[in-house]
Amino acid sequence: MTSMRKPKLLLVDDEIAFAANLLKLLSRRGYEVSAVHDGESALRIVQEREFDVVILDQNMPGKDGISVLRELKKKQPNIEVVILTGYGSIDMALKGFELGVYDYTSKPIQLGDLEAKIRQAFQRKILRE
Amino acid sequence: MVRFMSEQTEIGKRLESRGPDLPSRSYPKLMRRLVLGAVTFSVLPLLVIGWVIYLYYFQFSMSRMVGYFQRTVEYKRTIVDSFLGQRSSDIQLMASTHSLSFLSNPANLRQIFHLLNREGSYYIDLGVISEKGKHIAYIGPYDLMDKDYSQTFWFKEVIAKGVFISDMFLGYRKEPHFIIAVLRTEGGRPWILRATIYPEFLSTLVETKGLARTKDVFLVNREGIYQTNPRFHGKIMEKAPLPVDSFTGESGILGTGPFSHFGPSVPDPGIFNIDLIKYALIQSHPKEIVAYSWLKNPQWLLIVKQDFSEVFGDINRVNTIILILLHSGFFAILIVSIVATGHMTKVIKKRDKEAEDLNRQLMQASKLASIGELAAGVAHEINNPLAVILTENQVILDLVEGEKDLGKEFKEQLEQSLGQVDAQVERCSRITQNLLRFSRRMAMPSRYVDLNAAVEDVVGLLEKRADSRGVNISLDFQENLPKIRGYEFELEQVFVNLISNAIDAHEGKPYGSIHIVTRQDSKRHGLVATVTDSGWGISEEDLARVFDPFYTTKPVGQGTGLGLSISYSIIRQMGGGISVRSEAGKGTEFEIFLPCQDSDSSDSEQTRGEDSKHDLYEKAQATLGR
Repeated sequence: MTSMRKPKLLLVDDEIAFAANLLKLLSRRGYEVSAVHDGESALRIVQEREFDVVILDQNMPGKDGISVLRELKKKQPNIEVVILTGYGSIDMALKGFELGVYDYTSKPIQLGDLEAKIRQAFQRKILRE
Repeated sequence: MVRFMSEQTEIGKRLESRGPDLPSRSYPKLMRRLVLGAVTFSVLPLLVIGWVIYLYYFQFSMSRMVGYFQRTVEYKRTIVDSFLGQRSSDIQLMASTHSLSFLSNPANLRQIFHLLNREGSYYIDLGVISEKGKHIAYIGPYDLMDKDYSQTFWFKEVIAKGVFISDMFLGYRKEPHFIIAVLRTEGGRPWILRATIYPEFLSTLVETKGLARTKDVFLVNREGIYQTNPRFHGKIMEKAPLPVDSFTGESGILGTGPFSHFGPSVPDPGIFNIDLIKYALIQSHPKEIVAYSWLKNPQWLLIVKQDFSEVFGDINRVNTIILILLHSGFFAILIVSIVATGHMTKVIKKRDKEAEDLNRQLMQASKLASIGELAAGVAHEINNPLAVILTENQVILDLVEGEKDLGKEFKEQLEQSLGQVDAQVERCSRITQNLLRFSRRMAMPSRYVDLNAAVEDVVGLLEKRADSRGVNISLDFQENLPKIRGYEFELEQVFVNLISNAIDAHEGKPYGSIHIVTRQDSKRHGLVATVTDSGWGISEEDLARVFDPFYTTKPVGQGTGLGLSISYSIIRQMGGGISVRSEAGKGTEFEIFLPCQDSDSSDSEQTRGEDSKHDLYEKAQATLGR
């Protein structure tokens, strides 16, 4: 069953140029996207607004992806997360899956691949609700 | 990883932990030091203690012997003293119990004489002498009735002292003899009873028969005149070659010559005696040892004389044996020390070498680990800018797509160029992926892999690429191959590597083919897969180095040279092997062998449990590894 609405996305990445570009690209493809540049901001913004899928960078200064994920899941267990990683550690990945990540994709990202994962993550969220 | 890094490549050589050989420690020096230490602290004290004990024992045994020697002389003296005392009392008794008138009768005198001699013939003669010094009566073998003794020394002595025992003298009979004279006063008138003693008796008392070879026992008077016959050095009545003045005290021991101040008393066995020690060390001793004891009455000296070496012969022998044992012990210990130390040094050397080797290995491993870390860091760092490039690329593409006013050529060119950018970024990404994979090889539970399926997956992945190069891929699979234990994802990695290499090998050729065969090899108990291409082939010299890390024949910018070495390592990890054959210009064939393990129930149980975990791993690997 395809959902009517498009998922609301949150980008969390400390690479400003990358986040800006991704925001542009995803908006063009019809998504409602916001972008923040660190973990703290991400946790704050999810309290203020509603999001369906979070695209989370794993390696950020300060709070890293995994700890953001943990706290995010505590506050909003229904939210789906796709993690971006440039440093593929299997152990990290496993940990992420245990914490409830939907999927991983590694940098540099393929837009098509990311979109597919976002869609699938959103579907799972809808099914769960 | 350690293994293939050590292979003979330039980088491999450099990375091999090769530092200058650790300064060869001086093991002979160490050994010398150890031996010296052992000797100084164990053997030497032992030797010192041994010597101390030896010297102590030596002087103890010596002084005991000396004491014994001295007691011998004193014992003999007692005998002589007692004999003389007895004789003296006899005469005194006779004199005091019989009157002059009685004794003047020759028959009575005879009676008394025999009485005196009843136990033994001690007396030669017996005489009664008047105050004027002439015999009143006489019984004996000599003709002495008319002799005048008034002027003789003994007459004067007995008048003065009352009892007198004389030294040996010749007298009127011109024979060596000695007398006992007793003075008695009867009614104011003194008379003397005189008896002569057999000198032989004295000799028998002194007992010179059956003695040790050099032993001599005799009596001398205060002037040093022999009173008995010695065995050596003179006769009775002659002067003895002895320093009578040295014989001080009641009794004692004298050594003649350099030992002369041995002292008159028995050396105390409890304290160290310098002379004895000197003797022990340099074996200088007097020729003879002399024990003496003064008689009381008369004042004679009883001497026991013997060669020093004879007296102490036994002891010396014992002492020498002890000394020999002591020194043999010392040498034995010394030799054992040296041998043991030598052995110990060898063991130390061996252990040191093992430790060094281990250290080297560790250094190597840690070097590689840090390279790994570096590689991972670099890869990670590069991925971020690559991501940005791609998104920028995409943004431009989006823009271009939306723009209607651009010329067809312009648009085409732009799309082409951006496509190139994309492709190149893709390539960079592959490189970093390889680098990351190179830097981490982690253990993962393995599961059963279908070889054909894996190859088919990979071919599916690379079909398009092969097509675009004009390369045809054909498959020849043996059906129903047994499953092998391995890591599916990594196995696919290997085939990706081999097949892409095969495709690339056709660079410059308008067309080509890749033929992939899978078979079961029952002889080697496993599966064999071959990837054969019709590419340019690999030259002989390159063939040897084809699996080396960082070794590539591709021009700079294409390929890292890591692909085959990683594949090699993956296959090795699975227990198999890769080999290659090639003919320049004609083509190349890679052969992969993977062993089969007999599946038993325990194994499959394990894998079932692992499967769920493995799925996760696979998923993670799949997303991360592309």
